[in-house]
Amino acid sequence: MPGKEDIRMSCSEFDALLSQAIDGTLAGDRLSAFEAHGRVCQLCGPLLHEAEAGRSWLKSLADVAPPDELVTNILLRTSGVASTHRQVAGKAEPTSWVARIREWANVITSPVVAMARQPRFAMSFGMAFFTLSVTLSLAGVKLSDLRHMDLRPSAIRRSYYETSGRVVKYYENIRFVYEIESRVRQFKEAAAPAEQPSEQQNNNDRKNKTKNDTSGQPEQKQERNYSREGNQPVFAASLPVNRGPELARLWRAGSPEPTVVSVTTYRRFS
Amino acid sequence: MEDAHVAALLVRRCVAGDAAAWEEIVQRYHRRIYNLCYRFAGSADDAQDLTQEVFIRMYRTLNSYDVGRGAFMTWITTLTRNLLVDHFRKTKHDRLTDSLDATASDHEDAMPLGERIPDGGPAPDAGVQSRETKETVHQALQRLSPELREAVILRDLQDMDYREIATVLKVPEGTVKSRINRGRAELARLLQRTYRQVM
Ligand SMILES: [Zn+2]
Repeated sequence: MPGKEDIRMSCSEFDALLSQAIDGTLAGDRLSAFEAHGRVCQLCGPLLHEAEAGRSWLKSLADVAPPDELVTNILLRTSGVASTHRQVAGKAEPTSWVARIREWANVITSPVVAMARQPRFAMSFGMAFFTLSVTLSLAGVKLSDLRHMDLRPSAIRRSYYETSGRVVKYYENIRFVYEIESRVRQFKEAAAPAEQPSEQQNNNDRKNKTKNDTSGQPEQKQERNYSREGNQPVFAASLPVNRGPELARLWRAGSPEPTVVSVTTYRRFS
Repeated sequence: MEDAHVAALLVRRCVAGDAAAWEEIVQRYHRRIYNLCYRFAGSADDAQDLTQEVFIRMYRTLNSYDVGRGAFMTWITTLTRNLLVDHFRKTKHDRLTDSLDATASDHEDAMPLGERIPDGGPAPDAGVQSRETKETVHQALQRLSPELREAVILRDLQDMDYREIATVLKVPEGTVKSRINRGRAELARLLQRTYRQVM
């Protein structure tokens, strides 16, 4: 009687009970009928064995361990917080202070680095830096110059005084040269009565000059204004010839390098 | 269930903005999702990327999870499975060109499947043999159709019941059982061909 029941079980019924049979949840008459069909059916018998073997193979696969950084990566890509209670929930593994510092640094920099690593952000950063460099180059600013420039207030103040000091010294030098020239001129005028012919010749020279003069200014004023470069070379060059040996000696004693005076080019300084 | 209750509580805290609750969710489920991805996608690199994608999607849609409509585990498994199907569709062409000699992944021994047919003699190292065997099974799993593969993974590796699997796959329980049976049997046949002497 049970044998007839076994044969009557269809292949689809067998298939429907296969999972339960393998799970071990099939019992009683149904299990008997199932086993009987499996023994006699050419299709269902092998299927049962294959399904059982397949399940065994699958069960032999153990869980694989995810990469260590997976949780951190997930957190950084979602909440952006690497870990909120790692110290509390940690496995109490002894970690060196170097490792801990590196971990902290990683927690701080990772979101920024991760963002900067994205191609569009990296491109933007690159373009921004390029634009800045080009602008500075066009403005004539070199990064190396900026580096050497001292922008502290005290340094700026010092630079100002140094510059103004140089201007004052420059002015003093010019005044000194002008003063020497005046003294020389006074000396020359004091020596003039003793050397009438020379003075006469000098006057002739002046007259010749006056003929060419088109300024309309009085003679003395003209000399004062144009005494520097115009007259001094003539004066310095002609002294030894026109004033005689003693004057030349005097001149040399007063100013060992008469030609130095002629170098001044500050015509209208006063 | 207590686990479901804890999960529901964590989700509620997380939706309220509790970063520690989110970290707890990641800590609790990342291994399971990673293994699901690894067994379905086949490679450790893909599994890592996909797991991250799953959690990104989960983080964005966590407030849409309704405790009353099912277990959190079923919800995240459905999320993962949908992402895996998308991934499979994208990489279909690569998979079609896969051969039996495809190199293995990082987790088990990287040796072509065809070269790993044992010669019948005793293995020099049981540990090495076990690792090679696992990799062979893993490679054989990749050769199943996605429908059969996901069914056996969810049942035999993720230990889900038929009703949960039916919810995740959105098919009747009878179809789930049928796919599991065919998946197991197909895997055994593939391995039988590989391990001729053993089987
Ligand atoms: Zn049959």
